[in-house]
Amino acid sequence: MRNKLQVKKGSFLRPFKAIRYLFEKPGTLRYPFEQKEPSPRYRGFHLNDWDKCTGCGNCADICPNEAITMVEITEIKPKPGEKNERPKIDYGRCCFCGLCVDICPPGSLRLSRDYFHIHFDKKTFTLLAKDEKTDKEHFLSAEKYSIFQASLMHRKENNEGFVSDLKYSLFEPERVPMPQVPPEKRKLSFIEQVLGYSQQEAKKEASRCLECKLCEDACPAHLKISDYIRAIYEDKPDESLRKIFEDNPLPAICGRICMAHCEEVCSLGKRGKPVAVRWLKRYASDMIKDYKKALELKPIKPTGKKVAVIGAGPGGLSVAYFLKLKGYEVTVFDSLPGGGGMMRIGPPLYRLPIESIDKDVNYIASLGVKFKFNTTVGKDISFEEIYKNYDAVYLGIGTTVSRSTHVKNSDKAYSALPFLKENKIGKGVKVGREIIVIGGGNVAMDVAREALRLQHIQYPGEKVVTKTVSLEDWDIMPATKEEIEEAKAEGIQFNPGWGPKEIKVEDGKVKGLLCMKVKSVFDEQGRFRPTFYEEKEMFLEGDMVIEAIGQVPDFSFIPKELFDKLEFTPRKKVKIDENGKTSLPKVFAGGDIVNLNLDAVTAIADAKRAAEGIDLYLKGDK
Amino acid sequence: MKTERELELYFGPQHIGMVGNFSITLKVEGDRIIEASANPGYLHRGFEKLMEYRTWIQNFPMVCRINVIEPDSMEMVYAMAVEKLAKIEVPERANYIRTIVLELARLTSHLFGCWAYANMLGFDTVAQWAMYHRDLLLDLFEELTGARVYHIYIWPGGVRRDIPKGFKDRVLNTLHTIGSCIPDYDNTFFNNRLFYKRAKNIGKISKDEAKKLGATGQILRAAGIKYDIRKVEPYAVYDKVNFEIPTREDGDAYSRVWVIRDEMIQSVHIIMQCFEKMPQGEVYNRVPNPFKWKIPKGETYVRVESSRGELGLYLVSNGEDKPYRVHFRTPSYPHGLIILEKLLKNASIADVGNIMISLYVVAPEIDR
Amino acid sequence: MRKKQKVKGIKMEKLKDEIASIFKEIKVNIAQDTKLIISAKKEQVLNLLRFLKDKGYNHLALISCVDWIEEKEFELVYILGSYLEKGGKGHIILKTRIHRKKPKFKTIIPIFENAEPYEREIHELFGVDFEGHPRLTHLFLERDYKIPPFRKDFDTREYVKEVFEKIPFVEDKK
Repeated sequence: MRNKLQVKKGSFLRPFKAIRYLFEKPGTLRYPFEQKEPSPRYRGFHLNDWDKCTGCGNCADICPNEAITMVEITEIKPKPGEKNERPKIDYGRCCFCGLCVDICPPGSLRLSRDYFHIHFDKKTFTLLAKDEKTDKEHFLSAEKYSIFQASLMHRKENNEGFVSDLKYSLFEPERVPMPQVPPEKRKLSFIEQVLGYSQQEAKKEASRCLECKLCEDACPAHLKISDYIRAIYEDKPDESLRKIFEDNPLPAICGRICMAHCEEVCSLGKRGKPVAVRWLKRYASDMIKDYKKALELKPIKPTGKKVAVIGAGPGGLSVAYFLKLKGYEVTVFDSLPGGGGMMRIGPPLYRLPIESIDKDVNYIASLGVKFKFNTTVGKDISFEEIYKNYDAVYLGIGTTVSRSTHVKNSDKAYSALPFLKENKIGKGVKVGREIIVIGGGNVAMDVAREALRLQHIQYPGEKVVTKTVSLEDWDIMPATKEEIEEAKAEGIQFNPGWGPKEIKVEDGKVKGLLCMKVKSVFDEQGRFRPTFYEEKEMFLEGDMVIEAIGQVPDFSFIPKELFDKLEFTPRKKVKIDENGKTSLPKVFAGGDIVNLNLDAVTAIADAKRAAEGIDLYLKGDK
Repeated sequence: MKTERELELYFGPQHIGMVGNFSITLKVEGDRIIEASANPGYLHRGFEKLMEYRTWIQNFPMVCRINVIEPDSMEMVYAMAVEKLAKIEVPERANYIRTIVLELARLTSHLFGCWAYANMLGFDTVAQWAMYHRDLLLDLFEELTGARVYHIYIWPGGVRRDIPKGFKDRVLNTLHTIGSCIPDYDNTFFNNRLFYKRAKNIGKISKDEAKKLGATGQILRAAGIKYDIRKVEPYAVYDKVNFEIPTREDGDAYSRVWVIRDEMIQSVHIIMQCFEKMPQGEVYNRVPNPFKWKIPKGETYVRVESSRGELGLYLVSNGEDKPYRVHFRTPSYPHGLIILEKLLKNASIADVGNIMISLYVVAPEIDR
Repeated sequence: MRKKQKVKGIKMEKLKDEIASIFKEIKVNIAQDTKLIISAKKEQVLNLLRFLKDKGYNHLALISCVDWIEEKEFELVYILGSYLEKGGKGHIILKTRIHRKKPKFKTIIPIFENAEPYEREIHELFGVDFEGHPRLTHLFLERDYKIPPFRKDFDTREYVKEVFEKIPFVEDKK
């Protein structure tokens, strides 16, 4: 079908028909008396909500014109894992593209519908972006606002334009799901619950990280997290392992049981799921079969000094590793048959198998560190001997004695640590059909879930139940949310807000636990001082009670004259200075006996500090 | 041979008859031009070098600034090239929205061309009508994308946001408003005897000359060759909508302006069909993390039919997170530098603006 | 009624075989079904262009240049299309390499008349000398540079610091 277009010459008079437009209403606006309302998605000047903003600096990294600088604001007291910096925008460079809005993880940076600024002084063209919540002076209500004075200092309130939308953001809020054994299957045995990432999945998860480095501040050991995640993304697990080993010599252990302070502050976790830093560390350590080949350490010059480490837990192993790298001769004493300390007996096999612990410990042993297992200091060897023969001593003894509730018949109840130890490296414990676990922390969760598995193994097909009783209610329960959710999925019944009163015993057998309702757990000063409603009672049936309410350290191996010189803080922790040195000469300490976090990675951080301290002490000596 | 009556004139960047920052050096004898040479370079911002220093997503707000009058086709060609190299799929609904945006951009560009041409000839009334109708379309863009001129809307993976509620009715209302003025446009300008006398047989180019000099776009179609990239190598959803390609036979300025008018009507048909056929669904397939995204090695050449002709992009990637070489093939480059010089020989000074604007040359596209 | 543009003309596979049979030592492959990528030696380029123009690819879309600084070579790229009268759909990308120190090449104006401004631009921005070009004068830039500006060893920030007053970058304002 061809267009048969003819060339018309046109006429001279027809154009006069347009004269009717003279009498029609004009289409232009009589500005500024009639104003044009900008559209709801207009991209104008910036707004920033200072309560949500974390100071991560992603907006400054993505701006194509480098228009945003992060400025330190001293009046803000940041929460842990946030910075006290806020973005400042130079409107001479900004092109109003809105990429900073699309990448802001908490969604605090937005663009408004104001776009006027007329001024003679060019210094006024930079703006520390705020909004009407924190800046009542410059954001005015509709009555006080006037278009004739509109500028960066005279803006309308509630005038948002282009806002962030999670569906169209530049970061990925969803995490790559970690393959795990489902609850119905995993509660029947001690199979390892988490199966680990494949190479594709690890690369995809590593590609989510925005490299804002807030996690590095929050990690107690200050690992170089964004660097090792980047190495995993580039398919270089050796490089990744090297970065981890600069601050943490136990990746296989920490990759399974770390508390992950980093994931709590991850930027992506503000409106999505945080980057799986812990699983990526596990991936890096699992990928490398032989650490020694991947790490390629240079030969170390020996200094000739000797250091003794008491306790082969995470603190002891780390201090041995760091001191060995500096050339010291290190001997580690531990009463257990292998390394790991609390890690060896505490977390059950479905969380931390023994092979993973041995992988890390064997590497440290291969560097030349001497391990003396099955050696209890105070029994097999005396503390005075160690104190005399070695140039420095590190106490990484941890908290090895379980606490007791001391209610009536509490001698019939099991304690958490012996229960876990017997099951993991001993002969095993015969459990009852209805178990009650007292406690609300992570050790209580470990005990309860282990007891449940033992019930299913020892009484297959029968009806069994495990219950927990804790003083703390849901909002202050100290166990991590992940553990509580997994425990609930496996069928463990929780009774929060109840305290133990008495264990009922009949004919020498445990019948159950009598509980009373909790009034409050902490007093006004925040100290642990629980109070109860004695009359409100509840009886829980059970044929076995396990107490998991906390652990205390055991200093009995230190002779009295040395122990009296050891100073303690008001919170009953060993007092140390900034180098990890205690009040006893030659003695350094770290780990659970020193800090309040009570987890592995803080022990490793303490160990690194103490290793530097021992190095300074021994070098300064003569 | 230089005679005593020869004079060198600068049809310079500040001139009432010039649109855009572009200058031509003319050697004239009386009213006849003997030789013309174009002087581009007033708008050279060095985009292609600057884009090598920014990552793939950071480049995307910069691309639209190359052609000031129709920025969407630049964004489209960059997004298509990156998607081809990185093998990214675009959802169906996003393709429909992209087509609507491109056709609306074509309408605004043609209305701008009408303003420029009518102003040049002295038809101020029609010029102001064209600008007013273009303004109504820019309001529609503000509602969809957030800005009137530099939209920054089409990015690799889809489009940036979904269409707001009630957008379809507003678009159709605006198009109806503009469409009902077409008889007035025809009476006042296109069917005007004065326009016929000013533009007929001016800037004539034959079929073979056009092909030899590398012309694309309206110049080809006004000379009688039916060639449109939207039909030859369809992209977005142009293979799913019905439209025709208007052509004329003569190849002079008169035919070129009539071809522009007919194309505007075809654009309206395309937009209405797209709204009817658009499915529901997603509009964006997320691309990888902008700080870490690396595109594998390769090179590609993609092209798009912009309102002026063939717009192409030659993109080379070296496996890094930044492009290695970016080269835009803009349609005004051969039109403004070769064809213009050829056509201005033996023309009169009064026709310089006439010829230049009917060739649809836009200065920022030449310089990049 | 939808009407697609009737495409008559040579298919890409046939063309590829023909080129491979006539010209020796040439690398031809088809990428993404409508593009033929040819890597040729610099002596063969003019003959190849004449051959392709006879086959119907008479639209020179672009001449470009890529600076491979690590391999110490420039790569000249010629992109040809067709008006669908004799040639088929799709493009041909013809690439050739020349030395980076004192680069020069022959002009293709005798074959394609509209190559003139493209070669002028490459001369100005990369420093490639085209023998036989009638008008190798300034196109965009107004001053002379020690290193042609689009080469990879030309650092834009250094140039700005040397020649203009230092406008402090936003990072320096702290």
